Amino acid sequence: MFGHVFSYRLKCLVRDRDLVFWTLIFSILLGTMFHVAFGHLTTESEKFQPIEVAVVDNEDYRNDPSLQAILEELSSAGQNHMLDPVYADEKGAEELLNEGAVSGIITAGEPVRLTVKEPGIYQSILKMILDEHLQTTKTVANIISRNPQVVSDLIEGMQSENGYRRDYTEQISFSGVVPNMNLVYFYALLAMACMYSHSWGLRNATDIQADLSDLGARRSVAPTHKMVVVLADSAAALVISFFEILILLAYLSLALGVKFGSQIGYVMLTCLAGCIAGVSYGSFIGTLVRGHEGVKTGILIGSTMAMSFLAGLMWVDMKYIVSVKVPFLSYINPAALIADAFYSLYVFDTHRRFFINIGMLCLISAVFCVASFAILRRDEYASI
Amino acid sequence: MQVFRAYFKVMRGAVASLAINFVVFIGLAVLFSFIAPQARPMGFEQTQVPVAIINRDTDGEISRGLTQYLEKVCKVVDCPDEPEKLQDALFHRQMEYVAIIPSGFSDAFVSGEKCSIQKIIVPGSTESYYVDIIINRFLDTVNLYKTYGGTGESDSLSWIISSAMDDLQVEVPVTMIGQAAVSVGYQTGYYYYFNYCAYALLALITIGVSTIMISFNEPDLYMRNLCSPLPRRRMNLELAAGHTVFAIGCWGILMIGGLIMHGKSLFEAGVLGLYSLNALSFTLVCASIGLLIGTFVRSQNAQQGVVNVVTLGLCFLGGVYVPQSIMSKPVLAVSKFLPSYWFVKANDAISLLSDPSPQNLGAIHTSMLIQVAFAVAIFSITLFFSKEREA
Repeated sequence: MFGHVFSYRLKCLVRDRDLVFWTLIFSILLGTMFHVAFGHLTTESEKFQPIEVAVVDNEDYRNDPSLQAILEELSSAGQNHMLDPVYADEKGAEELLNEGAVSGIITAGEPVRLTVKEPGIYQSILKMILDEHLQTTKTVANIISRNPQVVSDLIEGMQSENGYRRDYTEQISFSGVVPNMNLVYFYALLAMACMYSHSWGLRNATDIQADLSDLGARRSVAPTHKMVVVLADSAAALVISFFEILILLAYLSLALGVKFGSQIGYVMLTCLAGCIAGVSYGSFIGTLVRGHEGVKTGILIGSTMAMSFLAGLMWVDMKYIVSVKVPFLSYINPAALIADAFYSLYVFDTHRRFFINIGMLCLISAVFCVASFAILRRDEYASI
Repeated sequence: MQVFRAYFKVMRGAVASLAINFVVFIGLAVLFSFIAPQARPMGFEQTQVPVAIINRDTDGEISRGLTQYLEKVCKVVDCPDEPEKLQDALFHRQMEYVAIIPSGFSDAFVSGEKCSIQKIIVPGSTESYYVDIIINRFLDTVNLYKTYGGTGESDSLSWIISSAMDDLQVEVPVTMIGQAAVSVGYQTGYYYYFNYCAYALLALITIGVSTIMISFNEPDLYMRNLCSPLPRRRMNLELAAGHTVFAIGCWGILMIGGLIMHGKSLFEAGVLGLYSLNALSFTLVCASIGLLIGTFVRSQNAQQGVVNVVTLGLCFLGGVYVPQSIMSKPVLAVSKFLPSYWFVKANDAISLLSDPSPQNLGAIHTSMLIQVAFAVAIFSITLFFSKEREA
């Protein structure tokens, strides 16, 4: 009997084109939009590029050998390549700046000056380079006035092959993961898609209650045990939603190149747990809230959007802010749990945080299931 | 005025969708006006990169000096010394750089042994490059004093550090030229508000207008109306009047919302007129899109899908959600064929407007006219196809 109910329910649900649109096509479209709008903003685009800078080629500049030496050193190819200078007269340099071809103008003189159009990281680096020029001059003057006998050593030391400049920093990393923040958007999108499975759960809840639909009334008088019907319905909803999520997952990872790490088994487990949470949430609201279907749909879509918002769908910092300021909320929000499960699989080497997420997700789903079955069981209707 | 009255009776059916979209928009507008940076300060300010300092060499004087220097030139973020929390915060760009000063660093530095500050960064990022320069700058200066400044025991480490700190305060003068030299409203609350208006206008007007058109185009009702004594021309005029009142009403409500939330700063900047004119041009576009959807789509369910896809598509591709300045060039090339691109472009230009010269205003007016042209084009397409279908 289970197989019979299951297969007919499956056919019934698949033919609901509106639901297929909202649970699958809409997520695919949203993912495509995300990709189009900021998919190119990978960590590559944060990489340092040598700064285009205009240098005013005037009398002062030609008489300032130390500034010339610094610019030459920083513009030669190699590890220290930080600048791409363009030499121009004052007017030409201003034109370049106005056109946005350069980040700033260096004008030699007493003291050397920097002209920019707007503040920013590249402008700050330019300023640091010029500051260093002035600061070193002051340091050397201070040392010589205090300790005149070191002049020759000092000059020799500063002109030696390594110079006085050293790199005191050493890069380490906790794991080999490239921290690409945009992934959070796609994880939140997948979480939203999982939670959108609530539509199937709601449809099931409507089609099994005699006071909500004709189909529900017809099925209530059938001799099949209600438990069998509920289980078969839920299994059909779960199969469809899981299948949809797998299509979405394949689209995101294969077509759009979103990274989920290498643990594909765990990624699919997260999808399954997410679908269970979505379907059970839909059944829960479908049985708990009495009233028009529009109201239930409104509650489900509104709450799912709120959950997805807190999981970082609209504003990527949100998920982190919630996890730091109101950690409790992250543990009871299924969308945040799903998104964080994907995130922890990608970022961390250990599975502790992943299993906490999955465990909480299963617990929440169990609460929804038990609650909706408690409401459904032994329902009797005196009159419909 | 029967049709005009019927218009608003039908509109009541769409109140729920309209209200949801309006509430979502107001929510986003409030959120973004909170997180939007306040008006940019006048003059040049050095970028303050968020850095977490994990000082495991708490007794070392050099480490303390370095920490103090970083606190001065960077934005130091508190973060516990736990790998998971550090990794989390770095991934979410709460900081761009984690500097770990290993224990015994100061002693090793003073005795000239090889020692280094460990860093965890977004590999190769510009911000990490900048912080590298800052850290190396400080340690290089200290090293110069340590190696050459010594005349005896009086050269305590604290003297070296305070001399280095003094030297590092010397700065070159920075001049700012052009538009950004004056304080303008770019990225202030009202800039976000008016950009997000694109979403609200699109969602509200397309849902409203298409709901009416779907109802009036329903075959039975349509044929019933054809045989009524009311001339077609009159019926269409009343429908058009209804669309105009509804669209202008949506625009008016959003403009009043903008006035309530940002009235003071809008009046100070004197850009309210331009922003609302731009929004009005876009209102025309939205109404024409609503008509198009209402002509082609037959069911309410399909309408929801189409409206969502069109709204999200135009907003994402036009640069409403993600600034045009960071969108990729190929996408921008396609976006130029969308009205929302020109709406956002005009908004960007208005927010950067420091001097309302005819040349600067010309670009803004051109963007508005292009939107009107889009509206006319979409309207013509709608008319053409509805005539075709009638025939």
